[in-house]
Amino acid sequence: MSCPKTEHLTKEYFSSGLSEVSKQEMESHLRSCERCNQELESLLLVQSKLESWQDQRVPHWNRGMELYRREHGQNESQGRIFDLWRWLPTATSFAMLLLVVLNTSLVIGDQGVSLSFGDSSASSGLESRLDAFQNNQQAKLAEFVARIENRQDSNNMQLMQVVFDQTQQTTAENLERIYTFFEEQRLQDLEDMRVGYQELANNDYETIRSLEQLAQYVSFSGEVR
Amino acid sequence: MSLIDEDEALIAAAVKGSAYAWEKLVKRYEPRIYNHGLRLTGNPTDAMDLMQEVFLGVYRNLHRFRGDAKFSSWIFRIAHNKAVDMNRRKKLMTVQSKADDDFDILDSLPGEVKTEPEHRLNEQQLNSQVLRMLAQLPMEQRLIVECKIFQSLTFEEIAELQDMSVNTAKTRFYTALKKLKVVSEEANVLSQD
Repeated sequence: MSCPKTEHLTKEYFSSGLSEVSKQEMESHLRSCERCNQELESLLLVQSKLESWQDQRVPHWNRGMELYRREHGQNESQGRIFDLWRWLPTATSFAMLLLVVLNTSLVIGDQGVSLSFGDSSASSGLESRLDAFQNNQQAKLAEFVARIENRQDSNNMQLMQVVFDQTQQTTAENLERIYTFFEEQRLQDLEDMRVGYQELANNDYETIRSLEQLAQYVSFSGEVR
Repeated sequence: MSLIDEDEALIAAAVKGSAYAWEKLVKRYEPRIYNHGLRLTGNPTDAMDLMQEVFLGVYRNLHRFRGDAKFSSWIFRIAHNKAVDMNRRKKLMTVQSKADDDFDILDSLPGEVKTEPEHRLNEQQLNSQVLRMLAQLPMEQRLIVECKIFQSLTFEEIAELQDMSVNTAKTRFYTALKKLKVVSEEANVLSQD
């Protein structure tokens, strides 16, 4: 069983602009028309199923930065704070590197504070003075060393001369002593021999006689020779 | 302060360069835009792409917003147009129709969602059922259903938004509902078998 009003009725049912009169007419028809009633109920069931949708959570995404990245260069003002914080450590590192590379020096003296970069005139003057001082010191040191060496050489010569003289003198004295000693020993030996002969002469006449003969023979042989 | 007033204050601050105001504005509207994209595209990846395109469009045109209409209507108009553009590019409907037999939103959601409590799982199943039904509709009918049921627009607003007559809008919506009724009945028969 079909109804010619079903399509029109269901279309209008979902419209929000119906007048009160139209609404009453529609409700009256629905009460009397099973076909339209069934059709509308089935469509409302579909609507109900669709409305069971539960909103899904949005996955994480970087709302600001995604857009800033895509809009880079066109919206500098929006990203200024982020850029400042993001680049601050890098900028600090760069500044410190510059301080090192440029040989920056900060001098606080009696005349105030002075900041200089690289080889300034003051530092170059100081460096030349340091070089001159170093050269002067080296020259003086060389002169001092040469003087010490000369003095050392002369001292050595004198010392060697003294040692040599003393050694020579000592040697001569020693030889003299040795000679004297040997002479004394020889004289003592002769005296001992003479004493021995005398004792022997006293003890044994024969022996003396033979000895005298022997002595004569010896002295005779010496005379012959 | 009403939401509309808050919107206007946030928009003014965001136009002047306040990242905080911009982020707050995005947070306020991103669930609506993301779920709109999810229902139209059927998958989270395309929904995210669409949402990002929408907020990019909002960002670029924020200074042109004069407050003649509600901000929510203005942003949804952008979202609607972006969805139409994306459909032209990617032919979402074709893809979904071919994949409808094996299509399951649970497969396309992150793993953490699948492991959530039972009521959340039930919620996912209901959403999956909705997506299966919507996937049977061509994009123009899906857009009408989206506007009428989920965005609660009137036929007059839909007609103006989609540049058609009010009657065409009503007819297209009715056609969509009838098709969904058939799909739903078929699904019930299959589940009873």
